[in-house]
Amino acid sequence: MDLDFSPAEREFRAEVRDWLSTHAPGPLPSMDTPEGFAAHRAWEARLAGARLSVVSWPEEYGGRGASLIDWLIFEEEYWAAGAPARVTQNGIFLLAPCLMRFGTPEQRERWLPRMARGDDVWAQAWSEPEAGSDLAALISRAEPAPGGWRLYGHKTWSSRAAYASHGFGLFRTSGTRHKGLTYFMFPMDDVAVRPIAQLDGLPGFAELHFDGVFVDDSTVLGEVGEGWRIAMATTSSERGLTLRSPGRFLATADRLVTLARRSSAAGAPALADRAARCWTEAEAYRLHTFGTARKIMAGEEVGAAASMGKVFWSELDLRMHTLAMELLGERAGETPWLDGFLFSLAGPIYAGTNEIQRNIIAERVLGLPR
Amino acid sequence: MNFAFTDEQLALAATVRDVLRAHCPPAALRSERRPGWEQLAALGFFGLLLPPESDGLGLGLADVVPALEETGRACLPGPVVETAVAAPYLVAGAPKLASGTVCVSVLLPGQVYAPDADLANVIVVAGADGLRLVARESARLTPRPGADPCRPLFEVAFEESERLGGSAGPALRRATVATAAQLIGVARELLAVSVAYAKVRTQFGAAIGSFQAVKHQLADVAVAVEFAAPLVYRAALAVDGDAATVERDVSAAKAAAGEAATLAARVALQVHGAIGYTEELDLRFWIARAWSLSAAYGTTAAHRERVRAAVLGGDVRRYP
Ligand SMILES: Cc1cc2nc3c(=O)[nH]c(=O)nc-3n(C[C@H](O)[C@H](O)[C@H](O)COP(=O)(O)OP(=O)(O)OC[C@H]3O[C@@H](n4cnc5c(N)ncnc54)[C@H](O)[C@@H]3O)c2cc1C
Repeated sequence: MDLDFSPAEREFRAEVRDWLSTHAPGPLPSMDTPEGFAAHRAWEARLAGARLSVVSWPEEYGGRGASLIDWLIFEEEYWAAGAPARVTQNGIFLLAPCLMRFGTPEQRERWLPRMARGDDVWAQAWSEPEAGSDLAALISRAEPAPGGWRLYGHKTWSSRAAYASHGFGLFRTSGTRHKGLTYFMFPMDDVAVRPIAQLDGLPGFAELHFDGVFVDDSTVLGEVGEGWRIAMATTSSERGLTLRSPGRFLATADRLVTLARRSSAAGAPALADRAARCWTEAEAYRLHTFGTARKIMAGEEVGAAASMGKVFWSELDLRMHTLAMELLGERAGETPWLDGFLFSLAGPIYAGTNEIQRNIIAERVLGLPR
Repeated sequence: MNFAFTDEQLALAATVRDVLRAHCPPAALRSERRPGWEQLAALGFFGLLLPPESDGLGLGLADVVPALEETGRACLPGPVVETAVAAPYLVAGAPKLASGTVCVSVLLPGQVYAPDADLANVIVVAGADGLRLVARESARLTPRPGADPCRPLFEVAFEESERLGGSAGPALRRATVATAAQLIGVARELLAVSVAYAKVRTQFGAAIGSFQAVKHQLADVAVAVEFAAPLVYRAALAVDGDAATVERDVSAAKAAAGEAATLAARVALQVHGAIGYTEELDLRFWIARAWSLSAAYGTTAAHRERVRAAVLGGDVRRYP
């Protein structure tokens, strides 16, 4: 066991840090506004120009074939530099892993390089009004049509969908519950989109109505009827390290400690103690993730254990932002902490609520009866 | 970087685990003061950290962390940490230390009483003027009440003693991390026993482990242990590498492990119901061990305070 980075890893860190120190933009307008969305896409195109938008992808799709450890290093530097949240994250972190594993070569070539450059921005269309935690209850359906399928139904809570160009999601092609679901990747052109304002007042997600939207056969990911299996392959990356790298929590923890030190309330030992504790917990998440990355690199599956990470990071993020609100008091609204706080409140809800994660830990990690 | 234990490190732990399963069963906790000790000595356990010139293996703390977890998992009594982990940095030259025939207790800064001093051949006491070696015959031991029947505490008085060179620091840091590793082992065992019980105990016609209120408590213990353990492993590496952040890292490890173990104890008791609140059930040994070790070598509060002083004082360096 060791924690020493190799010379190549240190060099990579230096390159990333260097590039970001001259190129990382200052704060951009929220990606949930038209100007902000455009600004974020432009930023991601610049990242892609430096081949830094998807470092762990194969070179042919715009990556560098970097190891998971390199990717974690990239993320640490990215968030430490104060660079903006990724507008393409749902595509890059949720769809792409499935596309690499289950997609045809044509599908990969068609979608991945465009995703890496921010040309296409993807939204995840899983949840439905009557299928939230119980995703297998979904009723949106796809009916065969010459040369493809027609999509019918109603999806909701789809992040970025107010402005996204594409969506991916599950539709029923036969059967009930988990059986007979098919995974589609579709352009948003013919989908009726109704933006939904979140707690911050901006249209951070949207509901989607499908009224016989035609999609051709090439939009099916994997086999027809295999959608559930493919989707579940994504959920562990959503819950675990790919969507939520330690980098963002480390950067938040560092800023929190600075805030606690500067704030007049730093004289309050109880608050200072909570700040130090959050900082240590961010470290714990980082170390744990190094261990997980090693396991994945050795060919092990993370599976249900990703639920432990989900509970840990979401509650840590919430604790950090709650403390920042307490430290700042009425001045919180003048800082980015308020937006961060509002978003942290969603952490225990999205990517599978923490109640559902605790059920998974109890049943599939600890082996308790259903 | 490879933040995973090597096959050798895991093999050592597996051997210790097997030996303790065979020679330190729960029944032995009621009848013996040092079950399993001889068998561990035969393995060379007490020489793992000693340098080769003292007949040891010269291993680092990170090499033995998984094995130390096993001593916690087995609730192994006796001054294990003191003899196997602290003594090599206090009295490495003591004859027979590697063979395990010499038993050591310590009273280092941050400790109030010497654990298991009644079993010790020598006691190392840190005083204002440095370290002193006290032979058992020269020590007057006054038992002090404690929470853990298998880890008795003693006040130590003495007239005659021998002055030792060196400082308490290296031994204290290692004993603290080793104790944190034991706490992780204690927590893992408490969780495993509680999960097993939740599968077989039925109420309302169903296993209690099928109830979400029970499940979620156990899931929280699993999460707490899962994220405390890496801090302990990192602290061991920091100690071995003499990292600049070592004091902070050791305290972070001890506080997190102490909290995870006391949570595991609390939940174990709750899940077991009244049977858990009895002297009869072996569970109580592990519950008591979680309490006694979380208070040993600095309380959780004391270590939290140290982490806070370091981090708020500006030490936010990451390791590596
Ligand atoms: C910010 C944000 C972004 C999102 N982005 C997307 C997206 O891009 N695409 C997408 O498809 N979805 C998205 N979602 C939706 C998200 O996946 C769902 O909100 C989530 O799965 C929970 O479903 P629900 O909201 O319908 O709550 P419900 O399932 O109705 O749950 C309500 C409450 O009941 C609890 N509960 C339900 N079942 C159980 C049970 N069996 N045991 C214990 N407690 C239970 C839940 O934990 C929760 O507390 C997003 C949500 C948020 C908040």
